[in-house]
Amino acid sequence: MDTIVALSTAPGRSAIGVIRISGPRTVKIVKMLVGDQELTLKPGQVVVRNLEPAGETVALDQAVLSYFAAPHSYTGEDVIEISCHGSPVILRQVIDRLVMFGGRLAEPGEFTLRALGNGKLNLSQAIAVRDLISARSDAAAKQAVRQLKGELSLRMGRTKERLIHAIVILESALEFVEDDLPAVEKEKLLDTLREIAQELSGLAQTFEVGHLLRDGLRVTIAGRPNVGKSSLFNALVRSDRAIVTDIPGTTRDSLTESISVNGFPVTLTDTAGLRESSDQIERLGVGRTHQAIADADLVLLIVDGSLPIEQRDLEPNSNGAKRLVVRNKMDLPSFRRAVMDQASSETMIDVSAMTGAGLDALRAAIIASFGNSDAADSGLLITDARQHDLLRRAAAEVKSSVVILQQGHSEELIVLGLNNALRLIGDITGETTNEDILTEIFSTFCIGK
Amino acid sequence: MSFEEVFDVIVIGGGHAGCEAASASARLGSSTALVTMNLDLIGQMSCNPAIGGIAKGHLVREIDALGGIMGRVADRTGIHFRLLNRSRGPAVQSPRAQSDRAQYRKEMRLTLENTPGLHLRQGTVVDLIFDQNEIKGVELLDGRELGARSVVIATGTFLNGQIHTGPKSYSAGRAGEPASIELAEALKRLGLPVGRLKTGTPPRLDGRMIDWAAFQVQHPDKEAVPFSFGTDEIQQKQLDCYLGYTTTEVHDLIRANLKSSPLYSGKITGVGPRYCPSIEDKVVKFAGKNRHQLFLEPEGHDTNEVYLNGFSTSLPAEVQQDLVRLVPGLGNSKIIRPGYAIEYDFVDPRELGPDLQTRRFRGLYHAGQINGTTGYEEAACQGLIAGINAALSTQGRKRFRVRRDQSYIGVLIADLISQGVDEPYRVFTSRAENRLTLRFDNADVRLRPLGRELGLVENRDWDRYEARKDRTSRLRRIIKETRVRRSDASYAAASLAVGADLGESISLEQLSKRAGVGADLINSLLPEPLELTGIRDIQTVLADVLYEGYIENQKVQTERLHHHDALRIPDEYDFRGLGGLSSEMIERLERAQPGTFGDARRILGMTNAGLTALLVNLTVANTAS
Repeated sequence: MDTIVALSTAPGRSAIGVIRISGPRTVKIVKMLVGDQELTLKPGQVVVRNLEPAGETVALDQAVLSYFAAPHSYTGEDVIEISCHGSPVILRQVIDRLVMFGGRLAEPGEFTLRALGNGKLNLSQAIAVRDLISARSDAAAKQAVRQLKGELSLRMGRTKERLIHAIVILESALEFVEDDLPAVEKEKLLDTLREIAQELSGLAQTFEVGHLLRDGLRVTIAGRPNVGKSSLFNALVRSDRAIVTDIPGTTRDSLTESISVNGFPVTLTDTAGLRESSDQIERLGVGRTHQAIADADLVLLIVDGSLPIEQRDLEPNSNGAKRLVVRNKMDLPSFRRAVMDQASSETMIDVSAMTGAGLDALRAAIIASFGNSDAADSGLLITDARQHDLLRRAAAEVKSSVVILQQGHSEELIVLGLNNALRLIGDITGETTNEDILTEIFSTFCIGK
Repeated sequence: MSFEEVFDVIVIGGGHAGCEAASASARLGSSTALVTMNLDLIGQMSCNPAIGGIAKGHLVREIDALGGIMGRVADRTGIHFRLLNRSRGPAVQSPRAQSDRAQYRKEMRLTLENTPGLHLRQGTVVDLIFDQNEIKGVELLDGRELGARSVVIATGTFLNGQIHTGPKSYSAGRAGEPASIELAEALKRLGLPVGRLKTGTPPRLDGRMIDWAAFQVQHPDKEAVPFSFGTDEIQQKQLDCYLGYTTTEVHDLIRANLKSSPLYSGKITGVGPRYCPSIEDKVVKFAGKNRHQLFLEPEGHDTNEVYLNGFSTSLPAEVQQDLVRLVPGLGNSKIIRPGYAIEYDFVDPRELGPDLQTRRFRGLYHAGQINGTTGYEEAACQGLIAGINAALSTQGRKRFRVRRDQSYIGVLIADLISQGVDEPYRVFTSRAENRLTLRFDNADVRLRPLGRELGLVENRDWDRYEARKDRTSRLRRIIKETRVRRSDASYAAASLAVGADLGESISLEQLSKRAGVGADLINSLLPEPLELTGIRDIQTVLADVLYEGYIENQKVQTERLHHHDALRIPDEYDFRGLGGLSSEMIERLERAQPGTFGDARRILGMTNAGLTALLVNLTVANTAS
């Protein structure tokens, strides 16, 4: 195995830049970089050194060296992290020297791959690393860290154990018919399988919220002209991003910003007010509004709460996307609460874009409309579409086994769905082989005619 | 080199692997010698006098379908036939038979003696003769040299065999027979990786002193299901077996004597099979169980010897005698052969290709326990494949292999050569991904045409096969078209069997898919009910119908599960540059040059870790850093 080198922090100018080197020649190469063959590094110890390779007249930089000895490192190999000053020139020079002394530039993902190969990560953790690196908000990063810690595998591990136990009972009944084994208790097995299916689909359902952490939430602000859409947009973005006047139709084009709402990544779009207009530019803007509504996960329909609300204020419908009606201008004296005889039970939020009143409630309502409002902090969430698909299908497989068991079919058919489920969740928990099942059988039952 | 005699193929060993290998090779037209230490012990059953069992019975059927001999010999000498798992689905049912040990030997030897082109030679092989890496022949203990272009080693437990009873141990291949020590050394000299395994056998009793009334009788099936597709009916008179139990007194005495068991004193280092534990192991590992099953199995018609199945032990002989006497019903019994444990060498089967030829030495084949397997059936099927390929290669014909989605033989060989073994390998139905497809009753459909193409299936058997195929396809049509109507007299019986109303009318095909409906019921509903062989045909058709939907569904599932299969691997892809791949995985990938992830997945011996690393590199790695 060769020794790989890469810049671990984002490229570009910054306070510090961290270069990581991993592999069997790590220590040797870093000694050459420091220009000190006597350099001693202790695992877990941090030292400051001039980077002054033999033959160079000036030190490249003064850097902090952190040594992680194999196998107690991210990759499972010897790893040294070199924290330099964050100048792109310095960083490039240091990396050049490391390569000159026998390192090789790492391919994308290679550190993670080595971790995987050395058993430091499983596949779901590797996916979590990818998510963590591309996380767009605190909550998303938190979830990625949790998965990286193996929490998902751990939680799945218990379900998997129960699944394996059910398979063991069925398989041993099939394979060791002449051995003195306890009879399969149908009702008990049915209960177990139902619970397993429930656990799997319960976890799968968390994707409804979980995927928002990864993919973000597309929220479109829409409504009649001059109801305060752009003011609300600015208030949520926390800057004067959109031009605000009291002239109806000021916003001609849709405007988009990425923000974080209570930890969830949100792509917020301000749109041109909806009205019939003879102005060609405004008409194009209104067209874009309709598009933004169509693309949204959630539409914030803004109405002017200081005026009586008419039916046309509540149009258009959001077309399947979720919708929140936001009554703006609650700071005005003419604002009246509950003015409408609205038959629908739609949630309405009262806010003032001007004073900021009601914005916290609005933020909470935006997230709440996608499920558990504490999602960002509470239970483990499935954030990866593939994992969600695997869990959903695994649950369906277990349910099919329940049906076959109820119909009174033989064990080889009941076990089909269970084995499928086990293979499906294998990506998350690590694969279970036939050999593992046999091992389980032999440790559970005394086999041997 | 001056050879005493020259053959195309030499098979070393006359056990179950050797017999199949020699028979197949000779019948394929290669002059073949079977060299064994003792011609009188050809086809000896070293352990229990039984053939078949779950998955093992499948193997015997597959051997038979390909044109092997085990099934026929077992049918002619079986004295207690049972179809196991009768109450379960057809895919997990399997025939099993107690054999008359002496008759089996005699019948097997007769079969070989009457095979044209097959020459039996008594002798002990002490070395292999090579020219470079190509086998040229074997050297015997008396100095003779026999020439051959292919050699099959099928030496069973004889390779460096060491028998243990209590504190005593001695070199032997089986009780009373010498081990094969020189050949074991020769294999080590070749640099083949050799490991050590262990197996054991129980004591045999004098049947005259058994109180049979103290045991529960087990009758054989009224209608024996034979192993061979060529057998119509079993002619042997059938005998009963008996079931009894150990007691806590027996367990206490075992525990008190553990220190004299070579298993627990540390003398035995070889790994034994977990599914065939010694009585010592059962008592220690399952201390909470207060009785263990014992089977009294007759050894044959012409003997009083009884095999005490379930009581495999390597305790000292005198302790064995005391233990046996504590079993209710065995108070006066005498052991006539004590049980023992035996350790022997095996060669890592990852050295082999799918034709069971060693990768390093051309013309050298390994079959049976030398590959780390256990069981007569496992040995025999490897013997068949090795014998076929040993002969084919001398004839310049393409090598023969069976796939794992096609047969248990394929499952077994693929497992061996890709995974290796760390305990004696036994076949289980759960080892087969396509368990529902690999039934004992359709082994002919799966493999007969392959055996015919090879030239191992004679005209009579081929005609039988074709006739059966015609009958089953006709039956399939009838079962699809025949309906039971509410107005029919038979409707009530059908409804009762299912335990539900069947609607106005139901086709026999639909009816047969319901739990609780068997071939007998369907037969009674046919326009013209059939006789015994006809019922076997119905069973095959019904099994096809029952599993069809599941098999199709399983196929879809597998495809979906493997939806990464289409991922392209670029040409000249640098596998060495990937992190997380062991050098062994890199070698396998480089040798196979897979074009897609699916190709890589199917490479023999790719580990899950290796595949994961490859997959991640092809997908995740592009986004992570």
